[in-house]
Amino acid sequence: MRNLILKDLILNKKFLSYVGLFYILYVGVFGSRIDNPKVDIIFITFLSFILPVMIYTREDKFKATVVSCSLPATRRQIILARYILGWLLMLIIYVLDMMAILVAPGHKLGAADLFNARTIFLALALMTLYFSILMPFLIRFGMVGFFVFLISLQVLGVITLTLASKKMLNLDIKAWVAAINNAFMSLNARLGTPGYYAFLLAMMLLLSLGSFVCSVFIFKRKDL
Amino acid sequence: MPNVLEIENLNKDYGDFKLKDVSFALPQGYIMGLIGPNGAGKTTIIKLILNLLRRDGGDIKVFGVDNVNDEVTIKSRIGFVHDTPFFYESLTLNSLRATVAPFYKDWDDGLFYRLLREFDLPARKLFRKLSRGMKMKFALAVALSHHADFIILDEPTSGLDPVFRRELLARLSALIQDEKKSVLFSTHITSDLERIADYITFIHNGRIVFSAAKDEVLEKWAVVKAGNNFLNDDNRKFFKGIRKREFGFEALTSDATEARRRFAGKAVIEKASLEDIMYYMTRGGNHA
Repeated sequence: MRNLILKDLILNKKFLSYVGLFYILYVGVFGSRIDNPKVDIIFITFLSFILPVMIYTREDKFKATVVSCSLPATRRQIILARYILGWLLMLIIYVLDMMAILVAPGHKLGAADLFNARTIFLALALMTLYFSILMPFLIRFGMVGFFVFLISLQVLGVITLTLASKKMLNLDIKAWVAAINNAFMSLNARLGTPGYYAFLLAMMLLLSLGSFVCSVFIFKRKDL
Repeated sequence: MPNVLEIENLNKDYGDFKLKDVSFALPQGYIMGLIGPNGAGKTTIIKLILNLLRRDGGDIKVFGVDNVNDEVTIKSRIGFVHDTPFFYESLTLNSLRATVAPFYKDWDDGLFYRLLREFDLPARKLFRKLSRGMKMKFALAVALSHHADFIILDEPTSGLDPVFRRELLARLSALIQDEKKSVLFSTHITSDLERIADYITFIHNGRIVFSAAKDEVLEKWAVVKAGNNFLNDDNRKFFKGIRKREFGFEALTSDATEARRRFAGKAVIEKASLEDIMYYMTRGGNHA
């Protein structure tokens, strides 16, 4: 396991040092202009997820998966190493980005706005969602498939919104968002704050485990 | 002598290409050449051994154990060279060593750097700046640097100059002298195998044509050259492949003794080279 993580770190050390540094500074300055913590968290968690993805797409780019899978390691171990390193990188980048926001001149939010139980749970929940849903997709379809999927989602979003705004589609997006929000609020009211967080945490772990099992299943069946 | 590799009834279906009931074994301490034309299934077999492809049926045992169930143990004792040496292009050879070496407990840094020097590979050079031949040499250096008991080479000599090809063959021959190490070597440059292989496995259209000791193959198979008047139905059936010309024919048989009896004094009978066998079996149909 350690060797697999070390391998990926060595392979990407230059990329992580240069792109990672630029990425943190850029996101930090950009995020410091935002005055809503929720918007900052949604924006930064997604960007924190993209960097690990870029690392794994580099293996696709160099077609080096055959070599990785010829080394003494099982495919399950390879996926586990990717999940561990992916989560580590996401968390490190997220924390560094948030710190960059706080030190950026003219920042609009304080440490208490960005680092409290509610925002930390929101960030973890979003990272879990992005990572758990998109990683199996990345493993199955590779770099090109992944970006086609993301672009398709965006195009689908634009089409849906356009149709909804022209009343050609009976879709009340505000009602959908409100329904999701109400569901979480009612859950919080019933369980109490500690119970609600424990429930969220359990869901995140379950989703991550499901995603991992799915990714291993896909990768084991992949002909290289 | 135990078998280092045992393949039984191996099947793989790609839809447009099928590997059908492939069976052969390689005894420990020997070199086996896997020959066949392009697209015959050589790389598929090698990838199945390394569990890079999922088999649809059959068994693969390496060192006596299943290649999937005991994957890590097996792979730590295998040195591999793929037909296209894909490593991370943006790393130096030194950095690539750092990514691969920790996976092998018997990794020998001294041997690795000695091989780099012998192969004229600068350790600080970026992988992407190497020529195809140099990339292949680097893959070989990696494969040989952890004292693997079983070396699997997929077309390792393609892209190599003749001088280095000879050196490589000599190195592989020397490697098996301790009778513990074994080599599976896929190629369509059959002259390489005539130099060093102990066993030959010939695959065509996803099926094994034969798998036998090289000396036995070269002893049994022959090329018969005779006038067209000898090409009757019975003789046609006797041959594995025929090449007809204006004044006569050349044909391949897998029974040199019978050919000598049948055509005594009437035809020229020569020992078949591996290239002859490959040519007639793939191009010279029985009714050419």
